[in-house]
Amino acid sequence: ATWAAGGKVEGKADFVRSFCEMCTSRCPIQAKVVDGKAVLVSGNPDWGATGGTLCARGVSGQSQLYDPQRIQKPLIRVGERGEGKWKEVSYEEAYDYIAKQMQGIKEKYGPEAMAFGCRKGPHMSYLYTFAKAYGSPNTHNHESTCPLARTVGLEVTFGTAGLGLDYGNCKYIVSLGRNYFEGINVAQVRGVMNCINKGGKLVSIDPRYSLTSAKAHEWLPIKPGTDLALVLALNHVFIRDGLYDKDFITKYTEGFEAVKASVTSYTPAWAEKETGIKAADIERIAKEMAAVKPKAILDWGWRTTFTPEEFELRRAIIIGNMLLGNLEVPGGSFFSKGPGFINGLVGKPVVQGIAGFKTPPFPKPAKPRVDGAGVKGHPMELAPAGDGIAQAVPESILTEKPYPIKGYFAYRYNPVVTMPQTNRVIEAMKKLDLLVVCDIYMSDTAMFADVVLPESTYLERDEGFNDYSGGVPAFTLRQQVVKPVYNTRAHWQIFKELSEKMGLGAYFPYTNIDDIRLTQMGGKQDLVKMGKEKGFVNFGMKPLFLRDKNSVAEFVKQFPDAQSLVNEQGYIDKYLTNLKTPSKKIELMSQVAQNVFGRGVPVYRPIQIAESGQQLFIQGKTGLHTNGHTHNVPWLHELMPENRLWMHPETASKLGVKTDDLVEMASTVGKQQVKAYITEGVRPDTVFCYMGFGRVSPGLKRAYKKGVNSNLMIPTSTVPVCGITLQTAGVTLKKV
Amino acid sequence: MATQKRYGMLYDSNKCIGCQACSTACRAENKVPDKVSRLQVWIEGPKGKYPDLITDFHRKSCVMCDSAPCVPVCPTGASYTTSDGVTLVNEKFCVGCKYCIAACPYQARFLNPETGAADKCTFCHETRVSRGQKPACVSICPTGALIFGDMNDSKSDISLALKSQRAVKPKEHLGLKPKVVTVPNWRGGDA
Repeated sequence: ATWAAGGKVEGKADFVRSFCEMCTSRCPIQAKVVDGKAVLVSGNPDWGATGGTLCARGVSGQSQLYDPQRIQKPLIRVGERGEGKWKEVSYEEAYDYIAKQMQGIKEKYGPEAMAFGCRKGPHMSYLYTFAKAYGSPNTHNHESTCPLARTVGLEVTFGTAGLGLDYGNCKYIVSLGRNYFEGINVAQVRGVMNCINKGGKLVSIDPRYSLTSAKAHEWLPIKPGTDLALVLALNHVFIRDGLYDKDFITKYTEGFEAVKASVTSYTPAWAEKETGIKAADIERIAKEMAAVKPKAILDWGWRTTFTPEEFELRRAIIIGNMLLGNLEVPGGSFFSKGPGFINGLVGKPVVQGIAGFKTPPFPKPAKPRVDGAGVKGHPMELAPAGDGIAQAVPESILTEKPYPIKGYFAYRYNPVVTMPQTNRVIEAMKKLDLLVVCDIYMSDTAMFADVVLPESTYLERDEGFNDYSGGVPAFTLRQQVVKPVYNTRAHWQIFKELSEKMGLGAYFPYTNIDDIRLTQMGGKQDLVKMGKEKGFVNFGMKPLFLRDKNSVAEFVKQFPDAQSLVNEQGYIDKYLTNLKTPSKKIELMSQVAQNVFGRGVPVYRPIQIAESGQQLFIQGKTGLHTNGHTHNVPWLHELMPENRLWMHPETASKLGVKTDDLVEMASTVGKQQVKAYITEGVRPDTVFCYMGFGRVSPGLKRAYKKGVNSNLMIPTSTVPVCGITLQTAGVTLKKV
Repeated sequence: MATQKRYGMLYDSNKCIGCQACSTACRAENKVPDKVSRLQVWIEGPKGKYPDLITDFHRKSCVMCDSAPCVPVCPTGASYTTSDGVTLVNEKFCVGCKYCIAACPYQARFLNPETGAADKCTFCHETRVSRGQKPACVSICPTGALIFGDMNDSKSDISLALKSQRAVKPKEHLGLKPKVVTVPNWRGGDA
């Protein structure tokens, strides 16, 4: 498109459709390019759920792109580990070095002594393929430091974790620490705001007054770590007063009687003592939710791990939603409708799925995974092997149990800051024989590496299709907006080239990006073309809710083969009694969790995170930064260069501190000086900070040593059943 | 529809989540140098006593006064108002005397460190609005907190919004007739 003449912007403006990578939400974007330079990144105007909008992190993509502090060339360490002395090398030299070292580890310790970790996303399969081709079972992503409890809770209940929540059509949302307006996913932000605009109610349960609390109709500052008591009391009221959806429970679920028996003693009066939330409020919220059911949502959370009783909490929340009968209705919860789901429903392929390449079988690993994820009989057997348990890797490096990990390949992953107990993770990184980091910045993990491979940022690289199905099947496509600014390459190129060096090229049989895309779309050129033009591929479907007769009718109009599935109510509900659970139904009581862990239905075990005399330390997201990633991006750094420790005036006066005074914060595993921020917006027994600050890498010149590193305070732990890490700790504070 | 346009903007502080997408998009679209801003969003709070708290959100930018005090004080004519009601700075004529900066009661202007000229929000007049697009801040806002358009067109989004919303004009007592108006936080008194 030619930019109209006569304005300040000169030259030609092109608009390139792609999707964002400033966080993992992957919102569809459109970049404006003038004279080969990216000048404005905004939302993809044709993507309905975001409608051309984007968050500050997304808009700051160009600030990251042109940042001279990015890694500009491959580097090999020449000084001591972590000293920051590097030799600039070519990709060829870097590959040769990595191949030689990895070969050495394989010969000396076996391939399982190499672990491979990355942030979850469409790039993950390239790392995992590389790892499996090499022969290691030890692959993981970041999920066990983020939402893995929710994943496991959903899988146990539904046989799949592929479910979403329809905020936009909901009439009542209860959030337990899920911070929509700061842990931003643009489509969800819009959904929740739509709910509020249409008269829906938002209740924020959070020890801290977040921006979500600020927008909510009610803020209830719960005593941290007692959310399970609140949810059990809500479930108690739903059942005690017969407010639950009896038809739904009878037809689609197993184990109601066990749930009913388990919540008898969890009265609102009992929960008040645990949570600090008044029994009358709990009664009222339960009744308000039930009055608008099924358009009521008890949010099952995201990165919100408060106590070791996470599995119970997520399960109790899911059960609460099922008592409200909100599954597969607008304004409730729903199964993701990817191509596999739709084709399975219709009984024949009507929607193109993302196809892969034919590759040789992977060598069978000689030993099981160190983290035990998905390993039968292991305490972590219910944790999905596709995600793995990230925090197990540093432990295996340090303890050499169940066997030693000697090499680590971290791709777009920064465990030093995103994993609990920073000092222990650093100790582990230092002990490695080989650390390879592929990233765009000299991250806190990259600074300890032997080899650093710079990747092109998402605005500089073409990529394959990304499954972005939700209410309907859809794929998004990442496209190069500008040519690489520095000497960097795309991950699909890096892993192919490195594999070829190691004689594993057969696992990456593609020739170029066009080959990847066309293969993914089953050879259908028209779909590839649509992806390039629109930035996404969809199939003209409207959101399908299986228990909503209007949307089912629309679906049958498009796919007449599905007519035979429709019942007399106009629903397609056979799917709900043919789930991949042992009973094929929704398992309110899980026989598997009962047999293996004695945790068939959620029960309450009180947890003490903080000792007497300590404060409870909690952390959370800001809308201006992403986890361990964006803090050095110039524009975002300017908006929020550091964090402070939120503390209530009562706490502050006991310590004798004012805002911006320095406080020493200590836990069992770390100690640091932090700036205080005195505010009424946090409970007197709790302190809070935003995560991802206090960076240890001098290569991040802006973010280095600015603010509090929340994970320095958190002890390493692995929560029973679901394998997630804790994100809370007890801390002792004193004035400096 | 009137032929002469008169642009205005409504900022609904209830819908604003303080995400700074608008101020960042403004920086990108208008190449605003680091450390200065044409647009900021201020988050004021939490205020009150635990647990009864509120947080207010404020848009800080030029409010496009009908009687803009920054225009008559300009000795060179660099500050001017277009026929569609948008006050702009012609940086070629600006001598950096800062009279306009001093005259603005909204602290909306600054000296651009790269051009040396007075600078401020333009409603993206040259790059977007004159081409029929919305200002960058409006089109990027995830929650639809900003509504922009021609107030002379009774059917435009902005005219309809102004009829239905309890909007206030910032510092109305000064009589400068700003065309950027705010829907204040409804959590203050009721509920």
